[in-house]
Amino acid sequence: MLQRFLDPSTLASISGLDLVAKTVVDGFVAGLHRSPDFGFSQEFAEYRAYSQGDDLRHVDWNVFARTEKAFLKRYRGETNTQLLVLLDTSASMAYGSHSVAKLDYARFVAASLCYMANVQRDAAGLIVFDEDVSNYVAPSTRQGQLFRLLHAIEKAEPGTRTDFAKPFAHFQNFLHRRGIVVVLSDFYERPDVIVKTIEPLRYRGNDVILFHLLDPQEIQPKFREPVLLVDMENAADALEISPEYTRDEYPRKIDSHIEALSSAARGAGMEYFLMNTARPLDEGLREYLAVRKGRL
Amino acid sequence: MGFFTPWFLAGAVGVCLPIWLHLLKKHKTTPLPFSSLMFFERRIQSSIKHRRLRYLVLLALRTALVLLIVLAFAHPYLRQAAAPASRTGEVTVLAVDNSLSMRAGNRLDQAKQMARRMVAGLRPGQRAQVLAFGARVQAMSEVTGDRAPLNAGIDAIEASDARTSFAELARSLRSIAQSIQLPLDVHLYSDMQQTGMPANFNDLRLNAAVRLEPHPLETNETPNFAVENVVAPRRVYDNRKSRVLATIAGFGNPKATRSVSLVLNHRVLETKTAEVPENGRATVEFLSLEVPYGKNRGEVRIDSADALAADDVFYFSVERADPRHALFVHEAGNSRALLYFNAALEASGQSAFEMDPATPDQTANLSPAKYAFVVLSDVGAIPAAFEDQLRQYVRGGGSVLISLGHMSVARARVPVTEDRIQETLYAGREGERFQTAVWLDRSHPSILKDDRWDDVKFYQAIRVLPGNARVAARLSDQTPLLMDHQVGEGHILVFASTFDTVANDFPLHASFVPFIQQTARYLGRLDDRPPSVLVASFEELRGSKEKGSAVEVVDPKGGRVLSLEEATEAQNIQFTSAGFYEIHRPNRADDLVAVNADRRESDLTPAPAETLALWRNTAQGSSEGGAAAAAEQKPLSLWWYVMLVVLALAVAESLLGNKHLSVDKEAA
Repeated sequence: MLQRFLDPSTLASISGLDLVAKTVVDGFVAGLHRSPDFGFSQEFAEYRAYSQGDDLRHVDWNVFARTEKAFLKRYRGETNTQLLVLLDTSASMAYGSHSVAKLDYARFVAASLCYMANVQRDAAGLIVFDEDVSNYVAPSTRQGQLFRLLHAIEKAEPGTRTDFAKPFAHFQNFLHRRGIVVVLSDFYERPDVIVKTIEPLRYRGNDVILFHLLDPQEIQPKFREPVLLVDMENAADALEISPEYTRDEYPRKIDSHIEALSSAARGAGMEYFLMNTARPLDEGLREYLAVRKGRL
Repeated sequence: MGFFTPWFLAGAVGVCLPIWLHLLKKHKTTPLPFSSLMFFERRIQSSIKHRRLRYLVLLALRTALVLLIVLAFAHPYLRQAAAPASRTGEVTVLAVDNSLSMRAGNRLDQAKQMARRMVAGLRPGQRAQVLAFGARVQAMSEVTGDRAPLNAGIDAIEASDARTSFAELARSLRSIAQSIQLPLDVHLYSDMQQTGMPANFNDLRLNAAVRLEPHPLETNETPNFAVENVVAPRRVYDNRKSRVLATIAGFGNPKATRSVSLVLNHRVLETKTAEVPENGRATVEFLSLEVPYGKNRGEVRIDSADALAADDVFYFSVERADPRHALFVHEAGNSRALLYFNAALEASGQSAFEMDPATPDQTANLSPAKYAFVVLSDVGAIPAAFEDQLRQYVRGGGSVLISLGHMSVARARVPVTEDRIQETLYAGREGERFQTAVWLDRSHPSILKDDRWDDVKFYQAIRVLPGNARVAARLSDQTPLLMDHQVGEGHILVFASTFDTVANDFPLHASFVPFIQQTARYLGRLDDRPPSVLVASFEELRGSKEKGSAVEVVDPKGGRVLSLEEATEAQNIQFTSAGFYEIHRPNRADDLVAVNADRRESDLTPAPAETLALWRNTAQGSSEGGAAAAAEQKPLSLWWYVMLVVLALAVAESLLGNKHLSVDKEAA
């Protein structure tokens, strides 16, 4: 029932981005109610016998009083991390064949991730870029950080063309602490160029997740007539395309691009996840949590 | 294959329109934004081929649609061979014209001879019937395969005085074909007079089962003279000489002089000469008609010396009688109404009625039964005994005319009818100076069809409830002015004003004279039959009260027309011959009726061959090659078939066009 609130079309009808994020995360968490593996509150995990060198602050003195043996008490989720969301706002992200454009979908995902990080008291930050960095919110756990993030996400508008090299080189300077880096983009660039550009982040000990956002029409176009397509990032570039081509050739090309990007990303130690904008958001959140768990 | 209206084929140039739309008009593609063209390549050849192919089907449909619509307008037909076997059991009909025009020369003999030759040529066992036709169609024999009764039927055909009616023949042939359910092969023997053709050609239409073969007689174009019309008085009431006007017509004639004689009771009264112009008419006036008492036989004759002698004489009947008396009751001090009434009656010169004036007091000893009608002109009190007598008189068939004025108002009721008088209307006192008669029932016998009372001013009128009476005229405030009560066999006519010039100025207007004369004729039951009637017209023999009484009719040859049974039962009679018919009725109202042949028969001009050919074409069984043709070629119209194909193509074009349209929208 609550899964319905994760549907992009339903979320598009909700006006406030904070409400969207809350709806997504709360719905998503409620869906995980019975799963013991993905809890992230500060609950008791285990007792461990004290060994030399352990911090005395973690000794359970109540147990020591009763048993005169020292045990250490361990909690889950006690370790904080840092989340940095890189949101691509190039012109191609404005494309959408249904009610939700790719940029809207990316906004929902980014807002949801930020909200979730805030709930877990992780430091969350945001970098909005197209061919340059257009907005930057430094990662923080300060009060009001969530609203700063949501405001920045809300303000993100489609820009010009994508250029990974320049913005990535630029914002490497902002990263002082290791954490999770989530890149939300449609990745219209050669896979080797993308990986080569993002790879340095990985070297600095970050976990990098590539969320590849594609519209269903981009994955499998359905044209029954010849059409004149105009590139959204370059209006001067237009092609008359036959339906046969879109039916036979194009899917092969896009599939091979996805496959190449996926294998190149994984080869470089990055997580890659293809997000179809017609599908619910929870799959992306699930991927994020899996990566975060690995860091604990 | 041919076309009834080939000029419409020029519309085929309209096929350029779909070609222009499809091939010459450049196809426009709406640009569609897409996120990236990174994975697209320019390969459009196959798609354009595909699109062109698909649009070519639509183009072909549209071109075919235009061409077929043009074809439908050109009305194509196929010549279809009709199997001769479909006319098995065919009955040969020999129709012989015996109208008046066939009396000219030896036309009837010629026609009968040709019919006999046809009978002689019939195959053994082939069935035939003989018809004679003029204004009516008469079967001279049964449908038979025996030649003897057929020949006897032909021999029995005699010339009549009727006029030719090809429409009546066509109607009878349609009726025969429908009743015997067999195809007819009609052979028509006639002089094919143009005047016999109906005004509406559709009346000549024949069935599919009828095949018509006209056999026009060989006639020479000879001039014919006829007495076309005679204007003479029907009745004469004094011994003065009357006027007779005769019209002499020439058909196909050069300018000629003819002597014209006026004959009364077989005695020539006067002879004059008439100059008849070429194909024209001349009128001759006789002022010497002195008519003795009783019913007289008048004739106008010419010495035409042409082939058709039957139209050289025109019969008319004229009767000399004394004027009938009518009673005019008026108040002692008011005789102006009588003056105007008499003046109007005598205006025509021959008054059929003589008015006997009387005051109400004098009526006590009078019996209305001896008068043709009674007029009560604005009378007050009248003796009750006389009023009762008047009521009986009306119930027995008499008629009374009542005019209402200020004297009548004092009595509060209309005499005889006892209708209540509601009020007296004085126009001058109510703001209007006078009223007019705004509505007239022109079908009433008292009112002529072209009568106009608009300028008559009515200052005073008496409003009476009309009850069941027929209102024949109304004033401008809808007050009934003239009411006709039917009481028993008679009539009471109530005029809601007076006949003097006090309550109105009606007597001073020209319309007063025809109103009084028509009313007198209506009330006095004078028939308005003309001095002569045409052959084939009808005459009523008895009224509704005269059932069972014998009526004797003597035809021009002196023979009795009706059998004993018919004499007691027949309601009317149709005149079949020209001449004088004597009708003896049981109430001693004997009549002498002059009957003349229709003068359209005098014009012997035959109908054009084209008209006959068109008539033959209405008979779908007719063929160009005659009866011997093995198979007939008939045009079969393809219009409906073409239109069905057009309909199917239009549906297909709509579906395909919609499909393309939806695809274009989807792509957009």
